[in-house]
Amino acid sequence: MSFQVAKTGLMTLIQDYGRYGYAEKGLSQSGVADEHAFCWANYLLDNHFNDAVLEICFGGIELKALSSSYIAVTGADLGFKINGVSQSLWQVIKVNKGDVLSWSRLIKDRGFRAYLAVKGGVKSALIFNSRSVNARENIGKLVKEGEIIPFDTHSHDIDKRCVPEMYIADYKQDLVLHLIACYQYDQFTEQQKAVFFGEDYQIDPASDRIGCRLIGQKIEQVPEQMISEGISYGSVEITHEGLPIILLKDRPSIGGYPKIGTVFSLDLAKLAQRQATSSVRFRLISLVEAQKKRKEFNAFFGMQL
Amino acid sequence: MLDIKIAGENSIIIYFGDEISSTLTDEIAFYTQLIKQNLNTLLIDVVPSYTSLLLTYRLGSINYESFSQLVSELINNSDFINQNTQRKTVEIPVLYDESVGFDLAELLKEAHLSLNEFIDLHSGQQYQVHAIGFSPGFAFLGQLDKRIARPRLANPRLSIPAGSVGIADRQTAVYPMASAGGWNIIGRTPLNLTLKDDNSLERFAIGDTVRFKSISKQSYLQQGGKL
Repeated sequence: MSFQVAKTGLMTLIQDYGRYGYAEKGLSQSGVADEHAFCWANYLLDNHFNDAVLEICFGGIELKALSSSYIAVTGADLGFKINGVSQSLWQVIKVNKGDVLSWSRLIKDRGFRAYLAVKGGVKSALIFNSRSVNARENIGKLVKEGEIIPFDTHSHDIDKRCVPEMYIADYKQDLVLHLIACYQYDQFTEQQKAVFFGEDYQIDPASDRIGCRLIGQKIEQVPEQMISEGISYGSVEITHEGLPIILLKDRPSIGGYPKIGTVFSLDLAKLAQRQATSSVRFRLISLVEAQKKRKEFNAFFGMQL
Repeated sequence: MLDIKIAGENSIIIYFGDEISSTLTDEIAFYTQLIKQNLNTLLIDVVPSYTSLLLTYRLGSINYESFSQLVSELINNSDFINQNTQRKTVEIPVLYDESVGFDLAELLKEAHLSLNEFIDLHSGQQYQVHAIGFSPGFAFLGQLDKRIARPRLANPRLSIPAGSVGIADRQTAVYPMASAGGWNIIGRTPLNLTLKDDNSLERFAIGDTVRFKSISKQSYLQQGGKL
């Protein structure tokens, strides 16, 4: 049971929740960039929360269904169509053998990463206990023309659920990234923090799955490079230049720039849909508040984390 | 000195000291094992490094206060036992030659050393794995003899072949996979050090000992090395 890739598109990756338990050997966490869209897609299909999906960036990809199944497409609106007919996102859709699924184009303020989940999950090979592709580490490859994307057979009908309106993400909203004051936060002066929290930053086009680079007012006299240490998802390095880099899923396991804090993970899901030149700003969040919100999210989606 | 700090919504970082030393590495290796053995069900990932240990924990099972208290009690109630004699020694054959060591000639000139003198210095001592990172299986080895230490290149190379042996300041390392990098390249090993399965993951662990062994071009080629 499978899809066949008819057209490659700009960048499509197989991703699951990530690669865990291998950080001490230098492997990245990897995994989906937008956990919100990913979790809803699997939830709609009653999949396991960690089931693998296609992370479709910028569109341009075309898939042919070699068998029937149920799917859900969430995240960015990239002009998703079946056999040339526009389809709704954030809901379960039945796909018949021979159908052609296409994602045509980027639409301003509608995000740029679409998630295609299929009932039972994509069943590509497990590498170090995960299906997540990491180009930097040479683990897996981008989806390419002719490739077969396998999934399990599924014969029962399933409920055609959809995501309640209030939970559908709006990628146009101004983005505030909530930061937990931690790591080397205390080593930054009040003046440096005033710059960091006072200014709007723009997303640098050089951003990728490793890190989101920001452009804006520079922080002067940043603390020196330090002894390399483990870096967590969302931690914010301040480079020699005085500009922030938010470390994302494909980051290395250790790094040596001072970090002003760590962004709350569910804000990183929103960040994953913001294109270059959109603006973001930082606000503090307490650890207690961040943990409460994250636990609610994990509990709702049945994530054993 | 033990300093526990928040590192994110489900992670903490423990600082065991603030200066790089082989004793501190042994200590961190010991406590990393201890924490993995005792708190396994609460852990998602561990990242030991030169002076610190990052722990990611399961929010669904424990909160920050309880987790950091558990970790701190565990460390404070267990005296450090140096287990470095039980750790493995890895030997890495290396062809020290300009054909694969792109920066070797320059380094010899600056250090006023002959090739043989350089080889004796680089392969004549044991190194300790201080940290693993940068790329999968990339082991940072210290401490290199001061006479052959050299800062990173001002302009990193876009591609360094897998197996290349590099020097950066007082550290040395083997690039397990082809990647960009700014280390001074002095030779290459014919061994395949890429991480491809669970067995290959066991090759290096923090605290392990590594020795380099100089081999001839003929032996390098026989062992599958490429020029």
